[in-house]
Amino acid sequence: MKRLVTGSNGFLGVALVERLLARKTPGLRLLVRPGSERRRLDAVLAKYPGADVEIVSGGLGSPQEAARLLDDVGLVYHLAAALSGQAAEMFLGTVVASKNLLEAIAQKGTRPKVVLISSFGVYGVADLPRGHVVDESTPLEPHPERRDHYSHAKLRQERLFDEYRQKHGIPMTILRPGVIYGPGGGAMSARVGLRLPGMFLFLGGKNLLPLSYVDNCAEAICVAAEKARFDGDAYNVLDDELMTCDEYLRRYEREVERLRVLKMPFPIAMALSAGVAFYHRYSQGQLPAILTPYKTKTSWKGNRFTNAKLRGLGFAPIVPTDEGIARTFSYLRDRAAGAA
Amino acid sequence: MTLKVAIVGCGKIADGHVEEIQKLGSRARVVAACDRELVMAEQLAVRYGIPTTYADASVMLATERPDVVHVTTPPGAHLFLAKQCVDAGAHVFVEKPLTLTYPESRELVEHVVAAKKKLTIGYSYHFEPPMNALRDLLARGELGDPVHVETFYGYNLDGAFGKALLADPNHWVHALPGKLLHNTIDHAIAKLIDFIPDDHPEVRAFGSVRRDKRYGDARDDLMDELRVVVRGGRTTAYLTFSAHARPVGHFARVYGTKNTAHADFNNRTVTLDIAPTIPSAVGRLVPAFQSAAAYLREGTKNLGRFADSKFHFFAGLGDLISRFYASIETDAPLPIAPRDILRVARMMDEIFEQLGQHRRSEMPGRASDHERVASPTAPLHGVDGGGGAS
Repeated sequence: MKRLVTGSNGFLGVALVERLLARKTPGLRLLVRPGSERRRLDAVLAKYPGADVEIVSGGLGSPQEAARLLDDVGLVYHLAAALSGQAAEMFLGTVVASKNLLEAIAQKGTRPKVVLISSFGVYGVADLPRGHVVDESTPLEPHPERRDHYSHAKLRQERLFDEYRQKHGIPMTILRPGVIYGPGGGAMSARVGLRLPGMFLFLGGKNLLPLSYVDNCAEAICVAAEKARFDGDAYNVLDDELMTCDEYLRRYEREVERLRVLKMPFPIAMALSAGVAFYHRYSQGQLPAILTPYKTKTSWKGNRFTNAKLRGLGFAPIVPTDEGIARTFSYLRDRAAGAA
Repeated sequence: MTLKVAIVGCGKIADGHVEEIQKLGSRARVVAACDRELVMAEQLAVRYGIPTTYADASVMLATERPDVVHVTTPPGAHLFLAKQCVDAGAHVFVEKPLTLTYPESRELVEHVVAAKKKLTIGYSYHFEPPMNALRDLLARGELGDPVHVETFYGYNLDGAFGKALLADPNHWVHALPGKLLHNTIDHAIAKLIDFIPDDHPEVRAFGSVRRDKRYGDARDDLMDELRVVVRGGRTTAYLTFSAHARPVGHFARVYGTKNTAHADFNNRTVTLDIAPTIPSAVGRLVPAFQSAAAYLREGTKNLGRFADSKFHFFAGLGDLISRFYASIETDAPLPIAPRDILRVARMMDEIFEQLGQHRRSEMPGRASDHERVASPTAPLHGVDGGGGAS
């Protein structure tokens, strides 16, 4: 039986392929977009000459296209998703692509199991008290239209998977990573703050940062694929040792680059958000509502997090957070030096 | 009376339409979002509070009976859908390009006229403040007779839409007769319609692919540079489309017998070229300050528009929608005459025909990978009919 990896050429996808190969997983079928730049993926594959890997150039543009990928496939790691763009692009790349995949799976006699990589963004924490522990029983976002397009699309993707699971009995499990970081990834999650021209608006304060080092996240996917129940169960994916936004920013400034930081305490962020939202309404959208009280409460009110359920499957991070941060900041330092 | 409006096709541009319609208050209400992919209709409806969603336009038309339908699908579906909407009793706002060809566009216009319905097209820049200002200058006689027009449309292939179509060899843009150019250059051509009144001006076009080949499929053939010369009875025009010139410009220059105007659509400024009025070296000093003063006045005007919340990205689209609805409400003239829509469609057909003719006539081993001259009879700028060195 083959194992299909969608999004295999992405930041997390490449790490997953490496973990699967390190675990001597046979029969990998890797979906990559035609013409995409594959330097990182090729470097990983070069470390495992002779591995049982098939690269398929294509997409999930239609159920027919998706069906061609599923021959002899027993397990799908579904990572493909749009990470940026406007709402329509996000929904096409994340939800419609998933629907095409699910339609193709539903048509098969023997349905492969699916591991869906979702996101922490699906949780609806805005109206929960500060310090609420976000576990898998935390309610999903009740107002996706008030959130960013990425979270909206990921929430709809999860609901779509649940609809297909209930209607077609597709066996699936859902992983919800927090902030995935590592060499090759971005520097600063919006949970820490926002980069503005010439300054960094620091909004995270002493909130915990739900970090998931990319190799640990890949390991979690492997563990879930082996041990989850595939009854629609969901798992938070986090490192064991989390740090605060404040600690992250200080270490970033020590090890990567100095920033001109403007600290904004939560009450002031809420007041500013109310002002931005008011002006957005007053001017009929002349400036975008990048901050609203609802978004601010979601991102910066401050929650705690747990990965206990995932650890219950036997997951343990393979890279300690301290080492993960060191590797990531080393990469970012080199990148910044190269850019300069 | 509040117009009942439906959106068919819930991709990116549908956001702009809904936002601008919702600014009209009680004049119009979006009652339905329809997309063959229901998830897309749903996402639009959730974000903008649209009460109903449909995956089938015929069901939507029969159920909602909208007064106006905005057709914002990829252009291959425009003709069929717009006719279907008109047959159901709706007026239609069709995104550009109107259809895939001039004959199809003529068929649609004739269908709408026969049904006594109204049609407009998404030439949104046609009603942006700079274009309105150019028309005012022309109407007041400040430009004199237009002698020549330049229209420049820059494009960024690293933008969201450019990335999307380069990432996907099956993107609908690759199936258009003029590919990317088909989806963009009517914005540039539509700027000519107030200055070149001829039904059938002479058109000469050539295009090229400046990017390195990378994909080994249709994406490598996507032309990213286009030059067009248009010759009417009394006025000529140059049209430039460039995906490589930086910064990504978007402007029109109108050379009149009295004055020359420069309209910058990115910065929303319109200025007249200054001629020296004082002799000698002093005369060459003054115009720079006069130009600076003109830009200062334009900046101040824009500041006022911003303060009045009239400086939105889709200002032109909003103005166009408002004028179109007014033409429905009061049976006033259409904001864009059907004749002008068809003149643009015909020019586009001629451009793509010339580009295609050359592509078909290319000899393997002779033609440059990077040069495709479109006019086999009238090569421009010294580039020959396909045998030039790259």
